[in-house]
Amino acid sequence: MGVLVLLVACIMVVVPNYANAGIDWVNNKMNLGLPRLPDSGFNLGLDLQGGAHLVYQANTDQIPDSDKANAVEGVRDIIERRVRGGLGVSEPLVETTQEGGNYRVIVELPGVTDVNQAIKMIGETPILQFKEQNNEPPRDLTVAETKQLNDYNKDALKRANVALQDVLKTKDFKSAVAKYSEDTTTKIKDGDLGFITQQTNPELYIWAQTHKDGEISDKLVSSTDGYNIAERLGQQDGAQEVSASHILICYKGATGCDNPKYNTKEEALAEANKLKSQATAANFASLAKQYSTEPGAAQTGGALGFFEKGQMVPAFEKAVWDVPVGQIIGPVETEFGYHIIYKTGAQTLKEYHVARILIKTKQKSDIVPPADTWKDTGLSGKQLKKAEVTENSQSGQIEVSLSFDSEGTKLFADITKRNVGKPVAIFLDGSPISTPNVNEPILNGSAVITGGFSLTEAKQLAERLNSGALPVPVDLISQQKVDATLGADSLKQSSKAGLVGLIGVMIFMILYYRFPGLLSVGSLVMYALLSLATFKLLGVTLTLSGIAGFILSIGMAVDTNVLVFERLKEELRTGKTLTGAMEESFKRSWPSIRDGHVATLFSCLFLLWFGTGFVQGFAVTLAIGVLFSLFTAIVITRVMMRFVFKWFKEEGSPLFLGYTPKKIEEVKVK
Amino acid sequence: MKNIPFVKYSKLFLILSGALALASLVLFIVWGVKPSIDFTGGSLFEISFTTARPSNDEVQKALDKLKLDNSVIQTTGDKGMIIRTNFLSEDEHQNVLKELRADFETKTNKLTESQFETIGAAVSQQLKTKAVWAVIFVNLSIILYVAYAFRKVSRPVASWKYGLSAIIAAIHDVLMVVGVFVILSHFFNTEVDIGFVVALLTVLGYSVNDTIVVYDRIRENLLRRSAGSFSEMIDVGLNETLMRSINTTLITLIPLLALYLLGGSTIHNFALALLVGIASGAYSSIFVASPLLAYIEKWQKKSV
Repeated sequence: MGVLVLLVACIMVVVPNYANAGIDWVNNKMNLGLPRLPDSGFNLGLDLQGGAHLVYQANTDQIPDSDKANAVEGVRDIIERRVRGGLGVSEPLVETTQEGGNYRVIVELPGVTDVNQAIKMIGETPILQFKEQNNEPPRDLTVAETKQLNDYNKDALKRANVALQDVLKTKDFKSAVAKYSEDTTTKIKDGDLGFITQQTNPELYIWAQTHKDGEISDKLVSSTDGYNIAERLGQQDGAQEVSASHILICYKGATGCDNPKYNTKEEALAEANKLKSQATAANFASLAKQYSTEPGAAQTGGALGFFEKGQMVPAFEKAVWDVPVGQIIGPVETEFGYHIIYKTGAQTLKEYHVARILIKTKQKSDIVPPADTWKDTGLSGKQLKKAEVTENSQSGQIEVSLSFDSEGTKLFADITKRNVGKPVAIFLDGSPISTPNVNEPILNGSAVITGGFSLTEAKQLAERLNSGALPVPVDLISQQKVDATLGADSLKQSSKAGLVGLIGVMIFMILYYRFPGLLSVGSLVMYALLSLATFKLLGVTLTLSGIAGFILSIGMAVDTNVLVFERLKEELRTGKTLTGAMEESFKRSWPSIRDGHVATLFSCLFLLWFGTGFVQGFAVTLAIGVLFSLFTAIVITRVMMRFVFKWFKEEGSPLFLGYTPKKIEEVKVK
Repeated sequence: MKNIPFVKYSKLFLILSGALALASLVLFIVWGVKPSIDFTGGSLFEISFTTARPSNDEVQKALDKLKLDNSVIQTTGDKGMIIRTNFLSEDEHQNVLKELRADFETKTNKLTESQFETIGAAVSQQLKTKAVWAVIFVNLSIILYVAYAFRKVSRPVASWKYGLSAIIAAIHDVLMVVGVFVILSHFFNTEVDIGFVVALLTVLGYSVNDTIVVYDRIRENLLRRSAGSFSEMIDVGLNETLMRSINTTLITLIPLLALYLLGGSTIHNFALALLVGIASGAYSSIFVASPLLAYIEKWQKKSV
């Protein structure tokens, strides 16, 4: 009975999808609300699912012994963040080990195909930077640069014209793309841009509006990035857009209301309602010119032109979108105030399928890069002495406090003097992690970052800052990369080998040992299920070598049965009764079974200590296999034998090897 | 069942086994085995082409352009190649791939890198040391355990001598595996990697396991029956466990054979080492370990 429960439990763990189907069925029928089993798969090693295994050695020479472990933990943390965030690896394994006096970081990236990029991202030393807002306009071009720019663009125009003549002559757009186009992304797709809109490619869109499918431009179409030769390939309906005019009545405190005419919302609403009652299609523009508080309304008459979804604030868009054209609605409240809205039009935009040959031109921004919103201050992780988590004594808020060395203190004082009331950004690895506002100049070289941190967040930030401040260089000392296809092949092949081996053993056992052999097949199945369930529950990582270990342990599991059955044969030959012989054979074979398995376990133990992936995978599954084979062969086979041996006559039957009825008589005669 | 007088003919088997083991050892010393990058450090590429692979010489030329020392190129499967070189940094690794792609890729013939491994000296050194220690520890612990398990049987030979004989038989098996791989290494460039060491350690454990079963029966007979000489006891024990030994070995070899034939190239050599070692293990527990006991007993008598 106990055996049956165990069997069911193992099946449920090994193949939970079937078990869950059963549970669902029971739930449907009886409404018991049984929980479903977690149907996680086996934990596959990198050699079976593909991925990369990287070993880094941390260069901790510069760091005092007491800080080494912390510093390496910091590196570990950063690497984990980089592979999770930057590479999108969902289940990376990043761990630190110590070999002799060396600290190592082991990174396992299952399923990663671009290992090269992963290595690049991991290898960067963490960079901490303090930046302030950049208010400088980008510089103008020098005379030489202007000339260079013009020369380049003149040449581009010349080349574009050559290409145009060629296309017009040959009418072979595709080969011209391959020959002339400088647009690397579309060049490989015969110049195909896909469907374009007014927003994505304004100049080409305008051209496409006035041409037919299949037409090639007979003149160059210039766009911001260069000269185009375009071909229209098709069209489709795109987004809806509507046009409207509006009258805005803002009040004190509304967004963008610089010279409020009305002090309260109520006054503004009253005015808006009055205007709504007066407004008609004919007088809307003049009313807007006269009353709208929108800057510029005097010129535009409140006309907003066409707009698509997402361009207006949601309340405004929602109010105007579905009403019929020509209707006046309102007042509609938004963050800017109250609007009276006159819907003047609606249309469906076309999208055009266009291919192009692009000859690139250069812009000013190619020579002078557009200004960054943040500018470096020279203060970096180098000058940070320490970051730690503190609690504000007054508010009880969790904060991260920073302290700088003398150079950093001076720099920080200067920065904070310049930026009172403005934000200063703290960048880690090029992205801002915190942008605190400077409340007053800080002269003592210590700063506090507040920002509603939870304790974990604050700790993480402090650790990141500290590791930025204490960069530990890491060297890649070993890497292993397995392609996912190869891994899948290995998994398939080794599973097949395992199955064939298992079946082969079963056939052998039944043919040779007859009925007890059949029983041992039962316990072998049990053994396989039990081992697999354990691999799953313990989260044993199954590697190719692990599967080999498991396959080897199949033989060991049966070995125990073989020992017992051989004994049974002998005991039966001496003329013992079936049950007596069975109990005796279990008792007598136990010492050699035990001693034999212990020897194998010793090997496993030292293999585990060996410690690398291949070896460990093998040793773990072999050890688990050996332990379970003891259990299944001794307990399960015996339970089954005790149960079924009652069905047979005392002296046995030809189903058992060693059955010799004559011998019993001989013994009696003697 | 007939009684086979194993001990009577044991001299023949001992000489044969001893000669084979000695030959393995000599070959190992003279030829040696090719250690893989697991132990020497270095890099291993496994690449495959979608339609046809270039010749080894062409690839060698491409690699020479990059001034890679000690590169060895082998073919594998229909369209695959294995390239071994020194330890490469990631940049160098990418350079090799770039060079190979530039030289041999065409529109229809693409190169994929199905496996890449590079191992630095620090790691390989550590593996080497650990492998040696693991072998020593496994041997010692098995001798101690067998001595402990047979502590009640110190007549007619001391229990530690059981342990020693078991280990000698196991070392014989290990030497058989080594011998096979020395020959493979010499003629087919087969490399000996960490898996080989694992196989050796497993064979050690397994061979001793096998021997223990036989010894256990001898132990039991010694405790139960008092008639007969030690050699006779050994013969009885061997005969009684013969079928078990054969069956167990067959049963272990069946899955291993499946693994060897179907398990794919990565695990091929590992399975082979286990096959050879375990087959030898069964042989040695009958023809080496047990006769050894008989001889030890005879020598003891002489010297007394």
